Amino acid sequence: MTFLVLGLSHRSSPVTLRERFAFAEAAIPQALEKLRREAGAAEAVILSTCNRVEIYAVMEPPEGQAAAVLRQFLIDYHQWPDPLRDEIYCHTGCRGLEHLFQVACGLDSMVLGETEILGQLKKAYDTALRLRQTGGRLNKIFQKAFNVAKQIRTETNIQRGSVSVGSVAVELAEKIFSSLGDHPVMVIGAGDTSEKTARALLSRGAHSILVSNRSHERAEALAGELGGRAIRFEDWAAEFSGIDIVISSTAAPHYILDRPKLEGLMKARKNRPLLLIDIAVPRDIDPEIKFLENVYLYNIDDLQEIAGDYLQQRKDEIARCQAVIRDKARALLLSAPDRLVDGSKLAAGDT
Amino acid sequence: MSWHDARTCFWIAVIIYGGSTVYSIFLWRKGFRRHDYVNYLLLAAGMIFHTSAMLLRGLSLDRCPVNNLYEAMTFVAWTIAAAYLVLGLFPALRHFGSFVAPIVFGIGVFALMPALDVPYKDKPEFSNGLVSLHAALSLLSYGAFGLSAVAALMYLTLEHDLKFHKLRALLALLPPVDRLERITSRLLWAGFILLTAGSAFIPFLLKQHPEANLASDPKVPWSALVWLLYLGLIVAHTRFAQSGRRFAWGAIGTFVFVLLTFWGVNLLSPTHKF
Repeated sequence: MTFLVLGLSHRSSPVTLRERFAFAEAAIPQALEKLRREAGAAEAVILSTCNRVEIYAVMEPPEGQAAAVLRQFLIDYHQWPDPLRDEIYCHTGCRGLEHLFQVACGLDSMVLGETEILGQLKKAYDTALRLRQTGGRLNKIFQKAFNVAKQIRTETNIQRGSVSVGSVAVELAEKIFSSLGDHPVMVIGAGDTSEKTARALLSRGAHSILVSNRSHERAEALAGELGGRAIRFEDWAAEFSGIDIVISSTAAPHYILDRPKLEGLMKARKNRPLLLIDIAVPRDIDPEIKFLENVYLYNIDDLQEIAGDYLQQRKDEIARCQAVIRDKARALLLSAPDRLVDGSKLAAGDT
Repeated sequence: MSWHDARTCFWIAVIIYGGSTVYSIFLWRKGFRRHDYVNYLLLAAGMIFHTSAMLLRGLSLDRCPVNNLYEAMTFVAWTIAAAYLVLGLFPALRHFGSFVAPIVFGIGVFALMPALDVPYKDKPEFSNGLVSLHAALSLLSYGAFGLSAVAALMYLTLEHDLKFHKLRALLALLPPVDRLERITSRLLWAGFILLTAGSAFIPFLLKQHPEANLASDPKVPWSALVWLLYLGLIVAHTRFAQSGRRFAWGAIGTFVFVLLTFWGVNLLSPTHKF
């Protein structure tokens, strides 16, 4: 029996190719059945996301033959007419296990360490399990993959921290305020990044959002999407006393909020903590403001620097994660070499 | 159980608190990135010996052991450590221990100075439990003020890191700044209520001891000053929106003042026989 992983991912192929090889969710049961019947897969799981299309299978034929059969199945199933070179990859045995574990841990993801892929992998496995397309081998392999992902998450920093501007802003807000639900948010300037940041805050419990924009129509549209309230641009200062988080991204060529103006506004706010996220270029908020008590000011560079630090921290953890994964894959093979792959290959150092 | 058994127990407690302080330095350096039970367990172990020390001394007196400076300081440290052990049950507040350890260690080392633990010729004279209650409530209040200073120190640490965009502000498993400020404020209130309650016994104590001359006792204006300082801090916070760094520095500064002057005032006081 041979365990192998065959597919395409963001590392090997562009989106134009990946979208042609993607499996629609509704088509996966039929594809699994076909895989079993026509390609001779004893067990199989199909994972199809925006960044990867992969088939995990246990097959009767030896490695080379099994890989060729599976590759041909993928090409035929999607009726791809052109020749392919390295776009489709195949990993077998221990390397295949390591690849699956890396995918589960987010090490092979476009955003290093992201956790969404683990949910997608679990869903793909559950689908195959429900359709009885998995057996003892794949069940064991996938359960181990989920265990390894959990271990990596708890023992390393690979999934720690935020790597986007919006999620860094949310993290900052949660370090200042206990509950985002109690702290109103004001969006000044209805740009794309401010919208994403506001959405990130909404996803973590913020629910009171005011939107102010030079174009009031745009403010109303965004407020409608965010479930908030639009206010006229000239009125934002009047609403400021009730606000605790400000996301500013106007196209103004000068500061819209400077120190003397905020000093007056802070008195009206009774010096409650205030988080200012200035993602405008040129900046909307005078940097001198950061010296005011209870005011926390972050501009786009600050947020990107934090996101970059987090990403670097994740990269620094890769070697540690790889070592854990390598050990776990070898241990899995050694525990049942005859059931999972050809044991002689492992003994010869096929890792 | 002898006088010295109690001191030995307290010595062991202070050594454990010292270990916890050293461990806390490593946690500070690492930026409080992980939940840590070691410090909590160290402080709990220290508390076992600390409590034993106080229990042994109390049993030998049949009263609350607050009769000399050593006993007063151990009581204050005990209050701070005990309150932490309750707060530390909540994972989000467990890193309080890293801020509590140096304070209880410092108070412990100070309490162990030989001149502070003056043996009584006889058992202290208590006509009833009022003196004990007055002393215990007052010392409990200092414990609450100490813990509020700890929360304020945590606030300043996190606030500084957030202000200056340090990544460790996000990595540290510390409560948000607004919660730290709330904890500081509530502990100040608790301490203030305890101090006021302790002081409320003074008229009754004077009836029992009419010979006491408070006019010449420096502890009286000192206590009034401390009470006013904390009242001022609370009023400034609640009525005049003095929050953030100023409030935190106020909580720390007032407690440091209490710590630095407490022993001296008690040594000068004829009615507080510390």
